[in-house]
Amino acid sequence: MAFLRSYLLKRLGQSLIAVLGVATIVFFIIRISGDPTRLMLPPEATEVQVEALRESLGFNQPILVQYKEYLLSLFQGDFGQSLYFKEPALQMVLHRLPATIDLAVTAIVIAVILGLTAGIISAYRKNSWLDFFISSGVFALQSLPVFWVGIVLILIFAVRLNWVPTSGNQGLVSLVLPAITLAAYPIAPIARTMRASLIEVMDQDYMLTSKAQGFSKRQRILRRGLKNAFLPVITVISLEFGVMIAGAVVTETIFSWPGVGSLIVQAVSNRDFPLVQASVLVISLIYILLTFVTDIVYRMIDPRIKL
Amino acid sequence: MKKSWFVLLAASLFLVAGCSTVQQGSSTDSNDTLGITIARAFDVNGLDPGFLTENAQVVDNIFDTLVKRDENEELTPGLATEWKPVDDLTWEFTLREGVTFTNGEPFNAEAVKYSIDRVLDPENNAPTFSYISTIDEVKVIDEHTVHIVTNSTDPLIPTRFNRYPTEIVPPKYVEEVGQEEFAQNPIGTGPYKFVSWDKGSQVVLEVNEDYWDDEPEVKKVTFRSIPETSTRVSALLNGEADIITGVAPETREQISNSEAAELSVVERAGNTIFVGLKYDFEPFADKRVRQAMNYAVDTNAIVEYVLEDAAVQTNSMIGPKDFGYAGEYDGYEYDPNKAKELLAEAGYEDGFSITLDTVNWYMKNTDVAQVIAEQLKEVGIEVTVNNVESSVYRNVVPAGEQSDMYVLGWSSTNTLDADAAIYAVLRSGESYSTYSNPDVDAKLDEARSTSDEERREELYKEIQEEVLEDAPRIFLYQENQYYGVSNQLNWEGRVDGSIPVATIESAE
Repeated sequence: MAFLRSYLLKRLGQSLIAVLGVATIVFFIIRISGDPTRLMLPPEATEVQVEALRESLGFNQPILVQYKEYLLSLFQGDFGQSLYFKEPALQMVLHRLPATIDLAVTAIVIAVILGLTAGIISAYRKNSWLDFFISSGVFALQSLPVFWVGIVLILIFAVRLNWVPTSGNQGLVSLVLPAITLAAYPIAPIARTMRASLIEVMDQDYMLTSKAQGFSKRQRILRRGLKNAFLPVITVISLEFGVMIAGAVVTETIFSWPGVGSLIVQAVSNRDFPLVQASVLVISLIYILLTFVTDIVYRMIDPRIKL
Repeated sequence: MKKSWFVLLAASLFLVAGCSTVQQGSSTDSNDTLGITIARAFDVNGLDPGFLTENAQVVDNIFDTLVKRDENEELTPGLATEWKPVDDLTWEFTLREGVTFTNGEPFNAEAVKYSIDRVLDPENNAPTFSYISTIDEVKVIDEHTVHIVTNSTDPLIPTRFNRYPTEIVPPKYVEEVGQEEFAQNPIGTGPYKFVSWDKGSQVVLEVNEDYWDDEPEVKKVTFRSIPETSTRVSALLNGEADIITGVAPETREQISNSEAAELSVVERAGNTIFVGLKYDFEPFADKRVRQAMNYAVDTNAIVEYVLEDAAVQTNSMIGPKDFGYAGEYDGYEYDPNKAKELLAEAGYEDGFSITLDTVNWYMKNTDVAQVIAEQLKEVGIEVTVNNVESSVYRNVVPAGEQSDMYVLGWSSTNTLDADAAIYAVLRSGESYSTYSNPDVDAKLDEARSTSDEERREELYKEIQEEVLEDAPRIFLYQENQYYGVSNQLNWEGRVDGSIPVATIESAE
């Protein structure tokens, strides 16, 4: 197990550097276009009032001093308080996180089921009209803008048919439209990777051997092919899942889904610095965790891979 | 393994498809109580009326002000039954007796003093301090009488006591729980009680059964936030929402053509939009150039073809419901030839190049700016349109760092008085003003410090005429506001932008 421990330590070190990098970049980028004091006051507020608020929020200090203080409190586990909601920023993000995860998990399950099915059928019937039909179908899905898909789904299923609510979180039914919207894009990369990988595996010697053993094409694919063709697909799935957690911003906004994505949009436009920082950090931590889990799964599937 | 996934998915899809009992917005349960949902673009940031960073649409249903406005926007008694000036610097308010906060605390003169003092306290950095900064002191005369003492004569005191941050809060409760907790769990005297707030999503209120005025018909109201405009309209059309705010001009027809809802048009309830001209830019220092710009822009065409009549062309800087409105003024008819003549007279027959800043706070802002640019090109002025991100604009404009031509909109918001409509954008030295005219400055100052209403009206008329002639801006139009209202309800949008839920009735 010694190798595992050194591996874990190395990963931990890398993750720390990544988190620190993210924290730093976010800290400076959101401050480039000024602070939120003007946004927190009505337009009629006087310069004196603006300055007083700026001072009480600490934005009048040199930026490096602010950065130092931010890092110090971060190391103590203090993510700061939302400027508007006056509530611990981390608490607000964690409160929103389950909704985002619900959405991302449902979407990735849909995308994986449809993507794998499409990919396997395409590979099985390589270069047939069915393959062509499926490949261009998933490609078309990928080309549709998220915004458009979301609005059209709302118009059809919520307004016309009235099967599901338009927006918000009113239980499981509310999850259907945003999950489909979010799933539309990653179906294509999953299907394409599955197809390519499976076709490649089919040409391997051991597949020929199993053919010689008298297994049918279907049996060969399901018993030998899939397992061996799965590695690159896992990478794609985990990447897409990460993107979903981080990138549900548009989908969450269209459907007013109460997740981290819509929180970030609001926080950025309010320039609620602590809230933006906390959300981005939490999301990057999840991303790091995901890549870690992917590596472990890799090893479980293919013991030849050294961590 | 994979098979069971399929089964699970198929089963859940069937479950969803079979389940057509979608939660509806307005619901009348067995006890015949009416509950409604109001969808807005944003959720609240806090619920303490003294420390809002947004408008008071939600909290005004939990709290009362001393003075209210009726459906015609006339001032009517609220928590005060009458008010009158005692001398130049003092207003007397007689308070309503027998009113209690929903936690049982009595409403009295002490509560008024406490509510105002905490906003005036510089330590507290109240965002809307400027709305009541003329107040020097609140004096408790007896249990039901207060004197509001001002630094200088302030004719707007009754108006100020109609608007946040002057809602009355319960002193004991606020002291007990602290300001931050109060913003999460507010208690007031208003027609509704706070129930819950799911941050970023919704605020739920229920009726206050012991309200001092008539009991409202709507017993429960949910203020939901749906940021995406088209989703908000969809929610109205399928019955999830009963009232929606911020209806974009392009979605008006979708609502008016539907059987489920109606469009409520509030003409000229929005900002008065203009193009500011900075005198630092040399050509604009010449009045003839500024007038030429006005002759060169065809506002009527913009209103008709770009905005599709979602705004009203006007040369008045003061809205029709504002105190100080004196009808419409004749201004600059569209006349490109006259514009060219004036430019030539001023020595700019070859025109000049300039940048026009605009921001998405206003309807179809980039389209409008592009058309203005095209029209100015006809008279030889090359305009580059620069669409500025809104939070950036909020910082550059007060700092005076915007381009020499910039789109800005202003209104009296909910004070409905000329002072709020024009002072900040005309008075020299004000952060949103790029205009400087000593005569106008003097008149603006006089008009805000005399309680003689006739004199004020006269001053505002003179200011309007003088500014129109001086042309420090291209006069454009005032925006309308639109609400979508379910057919099951009776309610019309208001010029002051408030949504008093107690005035909403069911259509039957």
